[in-house]
Amino acid sequence: MAMAIRQPGWYRGAIGMVLGAAFGFGLVIALRAISGLELFQTEQTGYPHVIVPLITAPFGFLFGFGAFDYWFRWAAGKPTIPDDHSAHGAYRWQDYFKFNTDHKVIGIQYVVTTLCFFLIGGVLALLIRAELAQPGEQIVAANTYNGLFSTHAIVMIFLFIIPIFAGLANYVLPLMIGAPDMAFPRLNALSFWLLPIAGIVFLGSFLAPGGAFDAGWTGYAPLSTGAPLGQSFFNVGVQFAGASSIATALNFLVTIITMRAPGMNPWRMPLLVWANLSTSLLVVGATPFVAGAQFMVLFDRILGMNFFQFLEGGDVISYQHIFWFYSHPAVYIMMLPGFGIISEVISTHSRKPVFGYRLMALALIGIVVLSYSVWAHHMFVAGMFSWLRVPMMITTMLIAVPTGIKIFSWLGTLFYGKIHLYSTSMLFSLAFIITFVVGGISGVMLGMIPIDIHVSDTYFIVAHIHFVLFGGSVFTIFAGIYHWFPKMTGRMYDERLGRIHFWGTVVGTWMAFVPMHWIGMDGMPRRVADYASVYGDWNLFISVSAFLLGAVQLIFIYNMIVSWRFGPKAGNNPWRAHSIEWQVSSPPPVFNFDEIPRVVGGPYEYGTPGARHAIMGGETAPEELPEPEPATVTSPS
Amino acid sequence: MESASIAAGHGHAEEHHGPPEAHQSARIDRTILGILLFILSEVMLFGAFFAAYFFIRAVANDGPWPPVGIELPVMIAGINTAILVSSSFTVHYALEAIKHNNHRGLKLGLTMTWLLGATFLFIQINEYVHIGFTPRDGAFGSIFFSLTGLHGAHVFVGLLLLTFANIRAYRGHFGPDQKDHLGVEVPGIYWHFVDIMWIIVFLAVYII
Repeated sequence: MAMAIRQPGWYRGAIGMVLGAAFGFGLVIALRAISGLELFQTEQTGYPHVIVPLITAPFGFLFGFGAFDYWFRWAAGKPTIPDDHSAHGAYRWQDYFKFNTDHKVIGIQYVVTTLCFFLIGGVLALLIRAELAQPGEQIVAANTYNGLFSTHAIVMIFLFIIPIFAGLANYVLPLMIGAPDMAFPRLNALSFWLLPIAGIVFLGSFLAPGGAFDAGWTGYAPLSTGAPLGQSFFNVGVQFAGASSIATALNFLVTIITMRAPGMNPWRMPLLVWANLSTSLLVVGATPFVAGAQFMVLFDRILGMNFFQFLEGGDVISYQHIFWFYSHPAVYIMMLPGFGIISEVISTHSRKPVFGYRLMALALIGIVVLSYSVWAHHMFVAGMFSWLRVPMMITTMLIAVPTGIKIFSWLGTLFYGKIHLYSTSMLFSLAFIITFVVGGISGVMLGMIPIDIHVSDTYFIVAHIHFVLFGGSVFTIFAGIYHWFPKMTGRMYDERLGRIHFWGTVVGTWMAFVPMHWIGMDGMPRRVADYASVYGDWNLFISVSAFLLGAVQLIFIYNMIVSWRFGPKAGNNPWRAHSIEWQVSSPPPVFNFDEIPRVVGGPYEYGTPGARHAIMGGETAPEELPEPEPATVTSPS
Repeated sequence: MESASIAAGHGHAEEHHGPPEAHQSARIDRTILGILLFILSEVMLFGAFFAAYFFIRAVANDGPWPPVGIELPVMIAGINTAILVSSSFTVHYALEAIKHNNHRGLKLGLTMTWLLGATFLFIQINEYVHIGFTPRDGAFGSIFFSLTGLHGAHVFVGLLLLTFANIRAYRGHFGPDQKDHLGVEVPGIYWHFVDIMWIIVFLAVYII
């Protein structure tokens, strides 16, 4: 036991957490005692004796868990020991619950954790739909309802969509570029462990007096600066989630820039790598802005500062500017990695090179640049400078150009390809294109000032974001999970269950979110627990569809768990893909490669006999690869 | 690959041949690129606070700036600026020294930098105590203390990094090869960032 306490791990982590909390609590009480203030400040915007431990306890936990051991050793001036790799790789299931530095273990930790948050967020969504099934109060009071939709949005955005892309890329990206691991494995592990902490902080706000944060996921000031204690949990949680996201992005950028295999010049990188390069540029550049905005709100709340207090000379609108300067790029943070996944899946399963590969890569960079110049289209009705409206409208519409390039290039890739419809990942990719186009076009509509003014704060907005985030991002996530499941687990999932999941999800998505456009244009407001009874029928329909959509996800979870344990062996390369991650065993060896592969061609040279993307270590000459013909649906030729 | 044969100490011995050496596909060192990207995100964090600063100053404020009755100690802050700027030169001197295997110069440079940085922080805290308004006094107080305080926190972190570098310098851990003095170069880059950021904060808050 004494040994267990000294070793990094859960025991030491728990002790560290208690000590961290005690330190924060003691610090606040001591400082307040010295300053002659009353010890416990319990105004709803106060509670420093809760907020400070909320920050120090996670650091105590991370210290105990072993996240900082190496850095502390380094800082103390002890000679650095060469890496012993004892915290690397998973040999037993328990290794997934440790501070593990293997990018493959971290990838799986990310995916499983974020899927748990997906389920939590989904349950919150169903509670929302249960409340909205009929006009009037159904199951929760209006205040609780505000907390429900706020936490639903935050859990889905910060704890599911953004990190699951980081998780999938964590797993496959180093393999794809022929690197033995990420550039900073310890930082990578730290980024992951910050994520469940953020989740606990966000969800812990349900226990705070006054209930969960309820100012929406945007947390607009001054609503948020005067809100109950839960809002401070939001401010703190965003810092943990944001730090996790920035650290991962930095890691991806350094890995992609400095650790590519010999021969992999930028124009030979798979598009998933390009997508994560672009996303990481957005994260590193934009996420600090949301951190800054939440710091300011927290300072206003806890320290009595006046950033957003109009009477004290603060500027209320500045919150929205700073927030959206992050949060508009954030919607591309939630979408670009999905674009990368779709390019991989579509090319592999239509057996054709990606159409317009270079333009696809440049379109990603174009989106990155443009996305920094469109933030104020979220503020057309906020009372901001009126001269800013039209420029923002123009840039918003311009961003449809690179996005359109991507859509048409995917269609070009499919054109005359041998489309493999037996793969669930391909089904999700094809459905993604259709749903995302609908969501994208309603986005262009919203970019137009007159339409935006008409439908601001209505269900039309809800319909739009769910079409692009559920019909867009989540479909690509499913495509990515189905695509790489055989690589991650070494086993094949059940395609029949996959197809049931696919059809249920697609039909459920369209049934649940299409009517929202109509009731939105009729004027049903969002973020309100009650509504006029004329919208009652459609809302009942939407709620039933939402429950269907939720139920179908259980099939997905069942399929994943059972196939992981009992599925048939998948083999190294079930999709006969060319990129490097498919050339190693499934799951890959602990250190990925015995020898770094050499890249000799593009990643998507399907249909060219004998074409190779990479030559693995130990091989001498490229060998002819026979192309077997499985059951395919061929386009007319 | 030599590194593939390095056996590690304990644990799962049968698997232990270690990872292959990653191919270096860019000339820049990974750690240096990492700290540069980290600094980019730090710049954006400052950017958020500068955005708030200019909104408060130019959009929400229609009186004189700084508000009537507030006198900023420009002179003291100016001297402080000179102190911080000179510390950038000493840390550069330390790096150049170790590149030429001059351990005495390294120790001298790092110690000087640390002392200058600590002096800066001390003077700034002193300024806070005597400045005559608090973060609660209007939006000016909030943004003044936030911007200078955010910068002060970065000076503190920079000092921590320099402390580690000093400890190692006095134990003679650094050498003239780049990989042997990253522990000086990386805190040095961070320190230059802290320095340049102060010049911008100083110009925005005290001068213009």
